[in-house]
Amino acid sequence: MGKTALIFGISGQDGSYLSRLLLTKGYRVAGSSRDAQMSRFSNLIHLGIRDQVEVQSASLNDFRSVLQVLKKVRPDEVYNLAGQSSVGLSFDQPVESFESISIGTLNLLEAIRFLEAPIKIYNAGSSECFGNTDGHPADELTPFRPRSPYAVAKAAAFWQMANYREAYGLFACSGLLFNHESPLRPQRFVTRKIVTAACRIAAGMNEKLELGNISVERDWGWAPEYVEAMWLMLQQDNPDDYVIATGETNRLEDFVDGVFTSLGLNWREHVRTTRDLLRPTDILTVRANPGKAARELGWKARNKMRDVARMMVKEEKATFESR
Amino acid sequence: MRKALITGITGQDGAYLAEFLLKKGYEVHGIKRRASLFNTDRIDHLYQDPHESERTFLLHYGDLTDSTNLIRIIQQVQPDEIYNLAAQSHVKVSFETPEYTANADALGALRLLEAIRILGLEKKTRFYQASTSELYGLVRETPQNEQTPFYPRSPYAVAKLYAYWITVNYREAYGLFGCNGILFNHESPLRGETFVTRKITRGLARIKLGFQNVLFLGNLDGKRDWGHARDYVELMWLMLQQKKPKDYVIATGRQFSVREFVSVAGQELGFDIRWEGEGVEEKGYDKKTDRCIVAVDPRYFRPTEVDALLGDSSLAREELGWEPKISFEEMIAEMVAHDLREAERDLLCRREGFFVPNGIE
Repeated sequence: MGKTALIFGISGQDGSYLSRLLLTKGYRVAGSSRDAQMSRFSNLIHLGIRDQVEVQSASLNDFRSVLQVLKKVRPDEVYNLAGQSSVGLSFDQPVESFESISIGTLNLLEAIRFLEAPIKIYNAGSSECFGNTDGHPADELTPFRPRSPYAVAKAAAFWQMANYREAYGLFACSGLLFNHESPLRPQRFVTRKIVTAACRIAAGMNEKLELGNISVERDWGWAPEYVEAMWLMLQQDNPDDYVIATGETNRLEDFVDGVFTSLGLNWREHVRTTRDLLRPTDILTVRANPGKAARELGWKARNKMRDVARMMVKEEKATFESR
Repeated sequence: MRKALITGITGQDGAYLAEFLLKKGYEVHGIKRRASLFNTDRIDHLYQDPHESERTFLLHYGDLTDSTNLIRIIQQVQPDEIYNLAAQSHVKVSFETPEYTANADALGALRLLEAIRILGLEKKTRFYQASTSELYGLVRETPQNEQTPFYPRSPYAVAKLYAYWITVNYREAYGLFGCNGILFNHESPLRGETFVTRKITRGLARIKLGFQNVLFLGNLDGKRDWGHARDYVELMWLMLQQKKPKDYVIATGRQFSVREFVSVAGQELGFDIRWEGEGVEEKGYDKKTDRCIVAVDPRYFRPTEVDALLGDSSLAREELGWEPKISFEEMIAEMVAHDLREAERDLLCRREGFFVPNGIE
């Protein structure tokens, strides 16, 4: 009998790639969305797997709803990828960010305890928890210094996971994933915004791309690879937390350059920076040390920033030209 | 007249802080939760009749889980300083009520910070957040100072971690004058009866007078840095008087186990306690009578224990010129004297035929 996985947040980028991965591994895949009847699941459709996954309505803020979907699906593994996912938006919706991220994780942990079933759980942590590390590569022991309501809520969720693992022996893992991109990223994420605008400009549109601080440094990886790490964590003998990243840091300017260069353009002619897009507090540099994931999970990022930029452009161009 | 608003005014720290600020000449406003029973015994001595003019001590009904209520109170009061001392503050209880604890302790702090912003009071109102040594949990270094990384070990500590960082974030993002006081354990005769120190002094006093036979405790090996709450509230105020907002550790720098606390408290009452056995079998005997007066009950163990905490408050001592004035032994003597007096009152009532509730948990 194959295993069953339940993915909260299945309609997002990671949920969709994870569904595809688990389907190829022979899992029965179920997923939840706040309103499954209203969701278009365009990412699942995009990947051509919409009819292979069961979808359920569930809200992580509502304990009854979480319990009900767990009872119905009876999963072996739960992946919690749901929750408000934008750092920028969290400054405008701090309470909602806490409720969807932190109370949501708590409800899930409590529901699993309540059912007394050996359900393994993965929770999406975030590299945002680290904040500015002064150039030191962050690993699993690096103290958190969160810089946004989103990051503070993710830090609380991370510790809830650790506490339920230690207090009640749950098989609970957090992945501290650094930025991971793909063509399924929504437009409000800067990478996708850059790729889309650059493709329009390459197609002859007369427009300028407006960006905030382009000297920020990030570690960008390829989302379809990162979901493998999530799955690997739940296949180990013991539950633990892992940093997932490429280990390579680049400036946003370099990503912009990667995108425009692959379209034969010079970004300097098309980009305008504006103070309006700056965040109240931002992280300047992130650096990651994914050594533990390589040692213990045998996981390593194959695609680095330039590959990510190139692949995103390729797919964007294809959709653009097919319109 | 400067105005202060205290959440959690009916608690131990709220009562001491209110008294302190009134002496400093503040107009003190407090928020208390509506309850069907009186819950103001710690501040009754500060109460001023509503019919008096020029009152300087005022209470408002409110709740940290109600945003609009908080916004309205802050709008009315227009405080210069807000002290957020309200919380579900019991570590053990937080394992049973994790969601409520998150709502009151984590979101409660956020709701206050948001209220300050929504009312445009960022430049006027200073904010103190009651943070806790429980943040250090499974300690990463000893002693703990402001740079020591956190490792929370309970739903209470995780909720307080959120409140800590959201206070830092609002300071950095919006320039709000917000400070965290990372207070190590602080006790007093006003400490709630279900907290271990008060449970010990009260329990031993009642054993002394024959109300109770045995004091049941959880982890006797737990080591803490115990100060006096009256010393610590001064620090809260001092932090908000500085030029720049910052976070400070407040501690005595001395560490004692729960067992040692029991022994010292016992001595105050003339008990010389001999410890025998190990783990759940450990017992404390009064040497004179050879009677077992202290025993371990595993029900008080926590799913994840915090073994040892010891604070390094050098920063507060250097920058704020603060020193704790009341020693560990003096504090216990004060607590024991208070609880013995209460037990004597109960004994008197009982002797005169009045019903005396036992109030053991």
